Amino acid sequence: MSIMKGRAAFAAMIGVGLLSGVAIGQEVKQEQKSVVGNANVPPVTQEQLNAADKNAKDFLLTNGNYAQTRFYPGKQISRDNVKNLHVAWIFQTDVKESLETSPIVVDGVMFVTTSFSHVYALDAKTGQQLWHYAHKMGPITVYCCGPNNRGIQVLNDRVYLATLDSKLMALNAKTGEVVWTTNIADPELGYSETMAPTVIKDKVLIGTNGGEYGIRGFVRAYDAKTGKQLWNFNTIPENSVGVWATKDATGRDMHRNIQAEKDTLAKIGDPYAKLGGGVWQNPSVDLATNRIYFVVGNPSPDLDGSNRPGDNLYTNSLVSLDLETGKYVCHFQYIAHDVWDLDAVSPTVLVNVKGKDGKTIPGVIHAGKTGHIYVHDRKDCSMIRFSEAMVPQENMWVLPTKEGARMLPGANGGVEWSPIATDPGQELAYAINLHQPMTYHVENSPYPNGKLWLGGAFKVIPSEQQSGNITAVNYNTGKIKWQVKTPEPMIGGILATAGGLVFTGEGNGKFAAYNSSNGKELWSFRAGAGVNAPPSSYMIGGKQYIVVGAGGNTQLDYKRGNNIIAFTLD
Amino acid sequence: MFAKLAISGALVLLFAGGARAETIAEKAQVCAGCHGENGKPVDKTIPTIWGQQAGYLYIQLRDFKRGDRKSEIMQPIASTFERDDMLAIAEYFSQKPWPDLGQPRASKEVAEKAINASRSVGCPACHLDRFQGDGTVPRLAGMGRDYLAKTIADFRTRARANNPGMSDLMLATSPDDLAALVDYLAGL
Repeated sequence: MSIMKGRAAFAAMIGVGLLSGVAIGQEVKQEQKSVVGNANVPPVTQEQLNAADKNAKDFLLTNGNYAQTRFYPGKQISRDNVKNLHVAWIFQTDVKESLETSPIVVDGVMFVTTSFSHVYALDAKTGQQLWHYAHKMGPITVYCCGPNNRGIQVLNDRVYLATLDSKLMALNAKTGEVVWTTNIADPELGYSETMAPTVIKDKVLIGTNGGEYGIRGFVRAYDAKTGKQLWNFNTIPENSVGVWATKDATGRDMHRNIQAEKDTLAKIGDPYAKLGGGVWQNPSVDLATNRIYFVVGNPSPDLDGSNRPGDNLYTNSLVSLDLETGKYVCHFQYIAHDVWDLDAVSPTVLVNVKGKDGKTIPGVIHAGKTGHIYVHDRKDCSMIRFSEAMVPQENMWVLPTKEGARMLPGANGGVEWSPIATDPGQELAYAINLHQPMTYHVENSPYPNGKLWLGGAFKVIPSEQQSGNITAVNYNTGKIKWQVKTPEPMIGGILATAGGLVFTGEGNGKFAAYNSSNGKELWSFRAGAGVNAPPSSYMIGGKQYIVVGAGGNTQLDYKRGNNIIAFTLD
Repeated sequence: MFAKLAISGALVLLFAGGARAETIAEKAQVCAGCHGENGKPVDKTIPTIWGQQAGYLYIQLRDFKRGDRKSEIMQPIASTFERDDMLAIAEYFSQKPWPDLGQPRASKEVAEKAINASRSVGCPACHLDRFQGDGTVPRLAGMGRDYLAKTIADFRTRARANNPGMSDLMLATSPDDLAALVDYLAGL
């Protein structure tokens, strides 16, 4: 009895002290402050965004243009002169943690982001800071793979940002001041944001992270002017069972026990509500048909399929929606009922491809963690072909065990989230890959209320050699044209240019240019921290620049830094 | 013993706190009974909460209240808190300086073993560089050695049941590697 009294009284006292406690906390917390500035940046029109693929002056979208080709049309920096490339400037951010930003450039003003959802506006010629938005993070953040942010997009006079604590924001592009904020989803249930929004026709398109936390994934459109939600597409439909596919997209048996799954389905019903299916990379947009194309990530829990019977639609799938309404158009699932986390994350790219009959048709391609580049018909999402494997594949698809079953690729890929680049003139796609031998372990546990829910573990085998590679694939034949091996697994992204080059970086700090036709290395630079972000390119005053973030990577534990480095010719 | 300490601390505050509204600092004095006056826990199996990540502290209080994390001491205390109470307490302790427990650095050999083990299952992906933690993920660097060892053991048996993902990762890691991790983390 006395215990009860003491407990109740204590609770009452804590309650009284609440408000003052919050105030004390805010006073003593040493936070980086936003710096309001004055960036002389003109409004970005929808027409400019639509024509971004032909614009060598700016870099307006995360992956270069709405088709996400990462093909930069400028060619001042070429195979002949790239050896003379040197540092134009280095900007040091206030945040020394994993950098995955794609720099956006609008008429000489650059926008970059850092971990913990900071945004900087910089003079793209000098690297001078114009403003700094330091996001005041809520106490609840839940994320698996680093406090990353991959960038912003500008439409009209606003900068659009999605934050780690699952907010969507519009900032004033000139000053960095907040215009509006919208809560996307509850971080306490495992939702977070790391992707750059895609903004088109006054719609801000955003997905969500959380596939490791039992979320129900989505892609949404918000009104760019007000932040009001316009439509929502659940990436996990209420009927997520599908067709009980026994083979993956390449025809390999996945060793599913369909009868056991059907028995479980009869007992527990459709598992759609906590089935994961995050979307955390940008959709491509087909301006001619008003459709978007994106890939959906893994089911929850990652490695234990015992309580999620069925194909787990639309996890591990390419999905297309109508831009105006968010209504489903088509999908293609690569791996049904995935228990390896070999999901679909690298952003889709729209290019014209040769169909099965050899005729050129609008296509959509995606590089998988499996190490294949998949080529699809844009009309109905059907697969036309898949490429040769870019990484070793062994023992696919052995089921995870308690002790651990070895299978290649490891759970990071193949191609992780890293965006690929394409050179339509050469019919080539360029992808950076990981080779990390792993064992796959399974454990069973119930839904843990927004906590990490892996259903086991994927474990790097320390005694086995890891490596990476840069691979050029002809997407009309599926054949590998060239491959450059790297000493460490690669993550970050790649850029192709009309100068006949590709630029990409490594975890050891190397950033290099390669001949895009044969992979010959033509120039390199050591950044001192992992270069694990996608490069961009732009022009000011008749000079072409290449820019990239060097901040390392949390997921692969590459050396952290805080540099944005721009290069140019003399 | 700790239950008695906690309760007596609460009672002291009860009598002292009648006359005026108390600050959160005064209210949180009860926590010092176990977690330490200067942030150094009174027993080696008790976690450091000074300087710990606010989101993590909040989630633990929430889970004690829900019964997702078991503790005869913490459960009765947390069960009387509302969400805002927990957030305020978490924020208060997160702003305190992390105490130096004076634990020895791991040898180079042990550190290498620990780093390899941590990379193998991806610890830094959530606990971040130098195991400082963020948000709802705790700082592990410099945490009490005995608490680390007990927590890992409890994850492996699922006695610590409020993060099955951690249990999975600990089960996939050998006891030998985990012992190295404990020494390494304690000495950071």
